[in-house]
Amino acid sequence: MSKEAAARALDRAMALGAQFADVRFETTRNERIEVRNGVVAALADASSSGYCVRALIDGSWGFAASDDPSDAALDETAALACAIARAGARAARRRIGFPPPRGYVDKYETPVVRDPASITLGERVALLLEAERLLHAGNEVTVGRAWIDIWSTTKELHASSGSQITQHLLQSGCGIQAMAIGDGDAQTRTFPGDVGLYQSGGWEIIEKAQLRENAPRVGEEAIALLHAPQCPSSTCDLILGGSQMSLQIHESCGHPAELDRVMGWEANFSGTSFLEIDQLDRLRYGSPNVTIVVDNTLPLGMATCGYDDEGTKSARSDIIRDGLLVGYEMSNDTARAIGRESNGCVRAQSWSYAPMIRMCNLSLLPGDVPFEHLFDGVRDGIYMESNRSWSIDDRRLNFQFGCEIGWEIRNGKRGRMLKNPTYAGMTPRFWGSCDAIGDASSWFAWGTPNCGKGEPIQVGRTTQAAAPARFRNVAVGVGYS
Amino acid sequence: MNDLERERLARELLERSVADETEVFVAFSNAALTRFTHEVSNQNVAANSVEVSVRAIVDQRTGVASGNAFDMLSLQQLIERAAAMARLAPRDSLLPRLPAGTPAPPARSAYVASTAGASPEQRAQLCEPLFSAAEDGGCWCAGYVSTSSFGVTIANTSGTLSSFDGTDAAVNVKMIARDSSGWAEAHTTDVAAVDAAAVGRRAVEKAALGAAPRSVEPGAWSVILEPAAFGEMLSYLTSHFSAQSYEEGSSFFSDGLDRTYFGENVTIYDDWSHPLAPGMPFDYEGYPTQRLALVERGAVRNVVTDSYYAKKLDRENTGHALPAPNAYGPQPMHVVVAPGTRPATEMIASTERGLLVTRFWYIRPVDLKKAIITGMTRDGTFLIENGRITSGVRNLRFNQSILDALRSCEFSKEQLRTASYGYSLVAPAAKIDGFNFTSTTEF
Repeated sequence: MSKEAAARALDRAMALGAQFADVRFETTRNERIEVRNGVVAALADASSSGYCVRALIDGSWGFAASDDPSDAALDETAALACAIARAGARAARRRIGFPPPRGYVDKYETPVVRDPASITLGERVALLLEAERLLHAGNEVTVGRAWIDIWSTTKELHASSGSQITQHLLQSGCGIQAMAIGDGDAQTRTFPGDVGLYQSGGWEIIEKAQLRENAPRVGEEAIALLHAPQCPSSTCDLILGGSQMSLQIHESCGHPAELDRVMGWEANFSGTSFLEIDQLDRLRYGSPNVTIVVDNTLPLGMATCGYDDEGTKSARSDIIRDGLLVGYEMSNDTARAIGRESNGCVRAQSWSYAPMIRMCNLSLLPGDVPFEHLFDGVRDGIYMESNRSWSIDDRRLNFQFGCEIGWEIRNGKRGRMLKNPTYAGMTPRFWGSCDAIGDASSWFAWGTPNCGKGEPIQVGRTTQAAAPARFRNVAVGVGYS
Repeated sequence: MNDLERERLARELLERSVADETEVFVAFSNAALTRFTHEVSNQNVAANSVEVSVRAIVDQRTGVASGNAFDMLSLQQLIERAAAMARLAPRDSLLPRLPAGTPAPPARSAYVASTAGASPEQRAQLCEPLFSAAEDGGCWCAGYVSTSSFGVTIANTSGTLSSFDGTDAAVNVKMIARDSSGWAEAHTTDVAAVDAAAVGRRAVEKAALGAAPRSVEPGAWSVILEPAAFGEMLSYLTSHFSAQSYEEGSSFFSDGLDRTYFGENVTIYDDWSHPLAPGMPFDYEGYPTQRLALVERGAVRNVVTDSYYAKKLDRENTGHALPAPNAYGPQPMHVVVAPGTRPATEMIASTERGLLVTRFWYIRPVDLKKAIITGMTRDGTFLIENGRITSGVRNLRFNQSILDALRSCEFSKEQLRTASYGYSLVAPAAKIDGFNFTSTTEF
């Protein structure tokens, strides 16, 4: 899109009475390949281009989006955004919208080691066919899956404040999954983590996953789970693997720390939060071992970029510091409501969606315990890996999570495999029981490609970097008794 | 983009295709939504989009490309990209020919012009009674008013040409009081039929009824699930009726059809023509969708298929394909649960001690084959004692097998269209004994 097109939309909005306006042009390309049981079930290449205009009138935002690049459509879209803003302002009981405090002129590009375009479609398909074939370690494996996703996005944000920001973002991911069926049971193993490996970058992410090398073990574990004993119901010590930690952070800190949710903006759908504003700098969220930060400059983070979709520059800020609630994920409007500045957590799924607060790169900082020493001193416990089931109440307190696989721990040693491992708790009590976190060597940027929020619902891509961690006296084996 | 324009575009692309077989999918959407919180619009949006997708098949190899650029050069490139991908894909010897079929005409009520043309002012006007209900009831509210229109055309080289246009209007509101909340929603194709004031009143009444909630002990309870709660629970069972789940062994009835799993009163079918949720009369291959009994008087009767699984399992194509590329197999998309004989009020009146649940939150599968799910109650959970609602209760977590729940249950004679993540389902209220609550929360 040209600067002239942006100027046209902005001029039109300002002429119609907007106190602030921005226009975001976006072109995306999504490549997806999925092999299922030896068949290429998906071989897709989807691209989409369009733009949106946000207009602020009398404290009310209007948003309109179109894929028609003509001058007439630019004018109409800007006018519709203004009409929507006016209609909202008339019904509103008060004002909540404010213009961003400053503008930037800048560019950003995801660092890429190996351009995916250098890998032919044939090579990609061959990799997945081979990895999927290797999952079938026995007849019990009735479903094998292997997949690759690549998202390429170009965004241009122009604002009446003077912002002109161009960004080229590239995110890549892949994974394998085996499902074994037998004796009225179904057991699944997924690798890496529970959704695959998703990071910012190019083909180097796919290579790092080592799908072929891990596929036989993944298939064997799925079969072994069919014959493993059930996870017992008890209260014991719990060690969570890194990818399950990323889910734990995502659900019990990432979502409740979204300030729009705290302020009731998601109340009817995604819910509210127990991290209320009057608890800021007071609430003991977890043990002193727990420090959680937002960092949208994180290397390999799925939400890593130069600027968010409101034009706020990426930076790092604390959410939980030494166990204390000290911050939120914020937008311009919500930050202003608590006397702070945005920390750049606003994203839109694509050009046709309004930007809103999304969990970006929100990570638990590593501790100082080597992974293998987390087991020391655990007399009776369970180690769990790879999420299978996740549910938490709409204030993010009562949670119940299940994993694909577990192992009992006896006297500091990992013992036999357990199937259907689950655990449950109340968020601050659970994090308060965290007495050890793995060191930097076990800390990893786990990306999630499918986080849902908002109405209309938007899918976001986020990273929760984490190391394995240990929790004391946790209820396990819930849900089956 | 109207149906004639979509069909013209689809025909032109088919003519230009060089693949052995080609399917063209053209989808138009015009969606607007006014979201509000604390009686202020916090997100007020409108978006127009058109997408064209081409499935090319060359020697039983498939590629799919999609885009939203409509100049002829871009469209030609799209066709060529799909065919080029197909040539690089491995051959699938099971791949059938693209299906040919002529669907029934859609219900006339599926598309309402005034819904398609609803203005930002109309949506703001629908917000007003909700805001007033909140203020009058001593609550604050959050929710949305939405209006949308959409159109789909699917054409293929086997001669299929199927088009559908639909509209949707919805109001959804949560009323939040000091220590309780209530929720209500309405979904329809006709914006003029939306009674926002009634929706607002219902949510306020629930919030008032739930004030000063009591804590109750988890355990086995008799529950009455209102349609939104029961519908959401049931939506976690519907994928079991996919031919893919059945064939791969992950469905609860993969051991065989025509076996009785549930009570005699349980009949579940897939019906695109149900008057409460008139839908598309064909699937995403353009093939006519059958009205199909999934469960009949407690016995599982059918799985849904698409052209691929019809051939693979040597069954009839029931017309339940998802858009290509589809790794998830065919799915039922218009699930209807047959009603019972008594109104929900009588079900409550006949309950000595139980819980009434307005809706659930964050349901997730715990065990696939046993269909055990977990989730929380939300926005209006009430204690029933001696046939009367006596107080609100704090929310509870459940872990419950859907199969066990359907073995002994009773349905109300009223049905309601419910929605969850864009999926529609017509459900009655359900009374279930021995529903397994496992913990409580703090509100």
